[in-house]
Amino acid sequence: MVNLEDYRTLFVVVTLGLTLVAASPTLALVMPFGGSSERFSEFWLLDPNHAAEDYPFNVSAGEMYSVFVGVGNQMGSSEYYKVYVKLRNGTQSVPDGNNSVPDSLSPVYEYRFFVGVDEAWESPASFGFGDVVVEGDVLSVGEVVVNGVTSRVDVFAVWDSEREGYFFQLFFELWHYDVGSRDFRFDGQFVGLWLNMTGY
Amino acid sequence: MVSRLRFLVVSVFLFSLVSVSVPWVSAANGDLAPLEVAEAEEALASAYEAVLQADEAGADVSGLIDKLNVGSEYLVEAYIWVHLGDSENISHFAGLCYDIALDVHSDAVEAIDEARNSEMNEFVLVMLGSVAGVILVVVLCSVGWHIFKKRYYKKVLGLKPEVVFGES
Repeated sequence: MVNLEDYRTLFVVVTLGLTLVAASPTLALVMPFGGSSERFSEFWLLDPNHAAEDYPFNVSAGEMYSVFVGVGNQMGSSEYYKVYVKLRNGTQSVPDGNNSVPDSLSPVYEYRFFVGVDEAWESPASFGFGDVVVEGDVLSVGEVVVNGVTSRVDVFAVWDSEREGYFFQLFFELWHYDVGSRDFRFDGQFVGLWLNMTGY
Repeated sequence: MVSRLRFLVVSVFLFSLVSVSVPWVSAANGDLAPLEVAEAEEALASAYEAVLQADEAGADVSGLIDKLNVGSEYLVEAYIWVHLGDSENISHFAGLCYDIALDVHSDAVEAIDEARNSEMNEFVLVMLGSVAGVILVVVLCSVGWHIFKKRYYKKVLGLKPEVVFGES
């Protein structure tokens, strides 16, 4: 037969277990039990049909094209974002995603928006080019229009005989507001769209 | 040719007028921005920081985020007018952004207070519930133990062999 002392031990253990269960709501408020999940921002560019299949590629001066740019907030808190739209040719600097260094080009347009936790923001981006001039094998773009805002630029591309075209990249840099430094910070995220200027 | 020159002179004059009439400061991104735009930007960032605190305190900030987004649209619009050099629209949109930022800031401060009060009430309620639960568990277990112990002894005594005196 089981000893009374063994039963006493069993009772004490069961009592302690039930006490912990009863105290767990208070303990949960005092001690954070939540695991640390990975924090990141999603950043995407979609074609006019909201898919990733039919992006504008061959573009002409005076025409307008559209894509969708979007950001998903998985940072664990509400975020304040800024997206810079920039234009570059194949030889100009590209943002250094590994070291979070943006390129030095001036933006032609900027978005600013706030996104709640686990929520997403998306906006259409319509763009076009003007003042396109070809001299010899160099094509220069003097104007970029993004969402109706015209900016003067001076970007040129040399004729690429291998791929047969004048190639430019319209790219979007994602910045987010850093409360610690009270300034926007580039975390190395950018998405780009290669364009071949075929009509001028 | 003369009309083009006249257009150029008028444009330069108008741009100079805007440059002189609006005080310019260095914005956060290093670019020059009119003082009122920089103030609107600063106010919007402060409002966002207050909303973050409200969020951390447990308040529902979805409505405040929507308002902040309206403010940010006005700020973008103000920057577009900076780009185009229209001082009237710069003031107009920077002012709208500033007003919304102040509004959001005060709403966020209120939300922080409300969230902290409700958090404290919830904490007290949960703590009282836990204390009552712990007391109940201890009392029930101790009563249970005593009942069990009595039954155990009864059972053990019941198992004791009876002493039978030898019959002669």
